[in-house]
Amino acid sequence: MEWLAILMFVCVCAVLMLGYPVAFSLAGTALIFAGIGSVLGAFDASLLNALPSRLYGIMTNQTLLAVPMFVFMGVMLEKSKVAEQLLVSLTKAMGGLPAGMGIAVTLVGALMAASTGIVGATVVTMGLLALPSMMKQGYNSSYATGVIAATGTLGQIIPPSIALVLLGDVLSSSYQQAQLAQGIFSPETISVGDLFAAAIVPGFVLVGLYLLYSLGVGLFKPDWTPKAAKADKVPLKEILGSLIPPLFLIVIVLGSILRGVATPTEAAGIGAFGATVIALVKRKLSLEVLKAVMQSTLSVTSMVFMILIGASIFSLVFRGFGGEELVHVMFQNMPGGTFGALLIVMAVIFLLGFILDFIEITFVVVPLVAPVLFMMGVDPIWLGIMIAINLQTSFLTPPFGFALFYLRGVTPKSIPTAAIYKGVLPFILMQILMLVALAIWPELATTLPKYIYS
Amino acid sequence: MSNPSALGAVLAHKAQAFSDFTGRAISWLTFIMMLLMTTVVLLRYGFNMGWIAMQESILYLHAFVLMLGMAYTLSKNEHVRVDIFYRRFTPSKQKWVNILGHLVFLIPTCVFVMILSWQYVAQSWQILEGSQEAGGLPLVYLLKSLLIITPLLLIIEALAQIVLLLAGKTAFAEKEEEVL
Repeated sequence: MEWLAILMFVCVCAVLMLGYPVAFSLAGTALIFAGIGSVLGAFDASLLNALPSRLYGIMTNQTLLAVPMFVFMGVMLEKSKVAEQLLVSLTKAMGGLPAGMGIAVTLVGALMAASTGIVGATVVTMGLLALPSMMKQGYNSSYATGVIAATGTLGQIIPPSIALVLLGDVLSSSYQQAQLAQGIFSPETISVGDLFAAAIVPGFVLVGLYLLYSLGVGLFKPDWTPKAAKADKVPLKEILGSLIPPLFLIVIVLGSILRGVATPTEAAGIGAFGATVIALVKRKLSLEVLKAVMQSTLSVTSMVFMILIGASIFSLVFRGFGGEELVHVMFQNMPGGTFGALLIVMAVIFLLGFILDFIEITFVVVPLVAPVLFMMGVDPIWLGIMIAINLQTSFLTPPFGFALFYLRGVTPKSIPTAAIYKGVLPFILMQILMLVALAIWPELATTLPKYIYS
Repeated sequence: MSNPSALGAVLAHKAQAFSDFTGRAISWLTFIMMLLMTTVVLLRYGFNMGWIAMQESILYLHAFVLMLGMAYTLSKNEHVRVDIFYRRFTPSKQKWVNILGHLVFLIPTCVFVMILSWQYVAQSWQILEGSQEAGGLPLVYLLKSLLIITPLLLIIEALAQIVLLLAGKTAFAEKEEEVL
């Protein structure tokens, strides 16, 4: 009765559209189906006995321990206004260059991505702070909004992103599962550190492409990015003062992971500590701020893990109905072999990115498709980076991209939505270019981890 | 004689205050986690010292944070929704999505997890299960008990929200405005 697995999947999608919290919708729908299935004799209810130990496994997962710490770090930086200061002083300093503000936004976006990895926060911060000054200086509204939305999504891909932590955990267990299924009993492993290392080159290339585009606009469409009438002189001390804290964090967090001094989890803890020190030094750390940071860390963490629990109940039931077998057979009969399967997976994830958040896609969809792809010989690290960039593109694509919603929420009514759509178009093209490049040269992603961890 | 619905509302507010209190208290654990983790790294790389118990205590704190924060997160309305349609619903439609969702999905799931975990947790208590690592914390049974406590907290919060929603009140504690 595999059709029940399909029916369940369709039902869950329909239920999710109602807007009831994802985690409980997933778990509840799955359990209702498990009940119906066991009455019909199509589902072996004893499978669910594995649930408590699975949930215990989620609670005590060492890798995911990095999540609350990275969240803590990100929220602390947000509350200590590191990004704001950097943005204000850099845009002022670069106002006199061609497309200077666009370049400043891109640089700050990349730095913030590397230190907080929270898409919504970056887009909103930049939309509120950079957009008004760009508009005041007479920037083309499409270009301005496009550059803000696009750099905001960099947080997905530039390490240490929370998205890569979650993806790394899911991919590593899928990879082991795939190898065990193939009779390899001493499976190779991949780690979050591998994914971080793999994301560095593609992340830099993307930032480079964004910068080139801004420079091109500045040179060939000077009326889109008028220079400031009189460039504000910003004292070097102010620029350094705002540049050093995020750089310091990136160096301690990424540096300690890449040099093998600390695990990603430990690095996250140090990052959280570093962010707290920065807030303290900047005299932004009051008891009120600390409480706000802790409470928001608590609710983001619980939210993420609740989805993980819901998704794991869902996939347990899905597996019980033979759904996994179904996905497997479907992929094997796919025309175009491995490439065809990959293309479909990428297309599905792209489309799902319109309605689901990174977390849900990582926990629900990836475990279903990844083992099959691995058995077909796909490289796990490369797949992880492809998925991350793919989703990042999806978040940027009209009409449903998440980043666009965040941005729309903070842009003045005078800028039409169509202008935002037009503005992100060149960036979507660059993203697709990046995906194609990765498909042709997987080494872009796979070389660095081998080099670092060999 | 007091009005039963008024009594319900009072209880519901009490339950919500309880969720709020647990959340605020538990949130301090994130701060302690951060300090402990930094200490562990410093001790290991600076002084070549390390204790399994200390590392495990971080994991325990993590488990307490994520499990005991769930009801709090529910009370703050911060569990992620797919809101393409939801955000355009009328308040009354949103209200019914939440009431029915709680009744059909959340509460049954929680009850089910509690029933299923009962044996698992009880066994752990019977042998006062400890860590599998030498020098680990001997408190695994406390950790496993979260599988009962978390669903219970979620049910309490969900029931409180249903009562408040049915009484036409707002169910979600006021979300603090993001400081941007």
